[in-house]
Amino acid sequence: MVGLYCDFLSQHEQSTTNMLGIILKQFVSAGGVPEHVRQAFEAARKGFGGRCLRLPDMLELVKTTMASLPQVFICIDALDEALPKHMLDLLRSLQGIVQGSPNTRIFLTGRTIVLGEIKEIFSTRAVMVSISPTKEDIETFLVRKLESDTERDAMDDSLRADILRIILEKFSEMQVGKSSVFPVKSRSLANYFV
Amino acid sequence: MARNSLPSIEITDNINSFNSLNTNIVNITTGIDDEKRQILEWLSPLEPNRRHHSVRNERIDVVGNWFLETDEFRKWSGACGGDGCDPQVLFCYGDPGVGKTYLRYDKNLPSRE
Repeated sequence: MVGLYCDFLSQHEQSTTNMLGIILKQFVSAGGVPEHVRQAFEAARKGFGGRCLRLPDMLELVKTTMASLPQVFICIDALDEALPKHMLDLLRSLQGIVQGSPNTRIFLTGRTIVLGEIKEIFSTRAVMVSISPTKEDIETFLVRKLESDTERDAMDDSLRADILRIILEKFSEMQVGKSSVFPVKSRSLANYFV
Repeated sequence: MARNSLPSIEITDNINSFNSLNTNIVNITTGIDDEKRQILEWLSPLEPNRRHHSVRNERIDVVGNWFLETDEFRKWSGACGGDGCDPQVLFCYGDPGVGKTYLRYDKNLPSRE
């Protein structure tokens, strides 16, 4: 099980090669150093300035490593936070990985804008789930946040009950709005606390 | 979207969503010989462990568990028995802040009957 988080703030550092590298890095870290990885490292060290791997070389190392494992899960969060070129190269690399490794499972998250690329690149190998919180999710989240509120003097049972009631009412209204003739754009949990 | 009960999902012993990822990540910088450390640094400068610790600490149990009962997740994870045509890729999409990053799988979670 390996994974990484794409991040707006690290877009340039998160090149496709580095992202595949972190996947391989976690395999190597958890186990021993595979011989093919050691050989590639030695070859790179002898090269000019200890050269870095190119994307095709890194992809081959990842594929070879994964072929020696019974099953691998790769989790990648927030695809849309990677630079578009890096994200596309990453998705194409992952496509190459799943083609050669039927037991591999890949878990991806991202905004809806990435949906087209996922469908185009993975076709029938991919399934999609739209994520939006249920009313129970919202309530559990709110209760936990209210419990951890540090402004204890500003809170009382009445205010706590009002916050829960009003936000859950708003959420229900939005759910109704979503299924109406004129769909309302869904809002995130974060919007409730702006 | 079907939300059936989740009788059992056996993926691997160490899959606990990103929880098991944590175990692997923390080993990156601890207890390793010098050659291995050099190879790890050469493979990638990225260190996702800090972000992962933060996500784990902020995660609220139960929230989002409905996702584990969807047909898509069950097929992807092999919980449906597998017919050789199971999807290999699962993409969870949605607006920022809906909780995608905090989804998790724990095979010890009780199923919803």
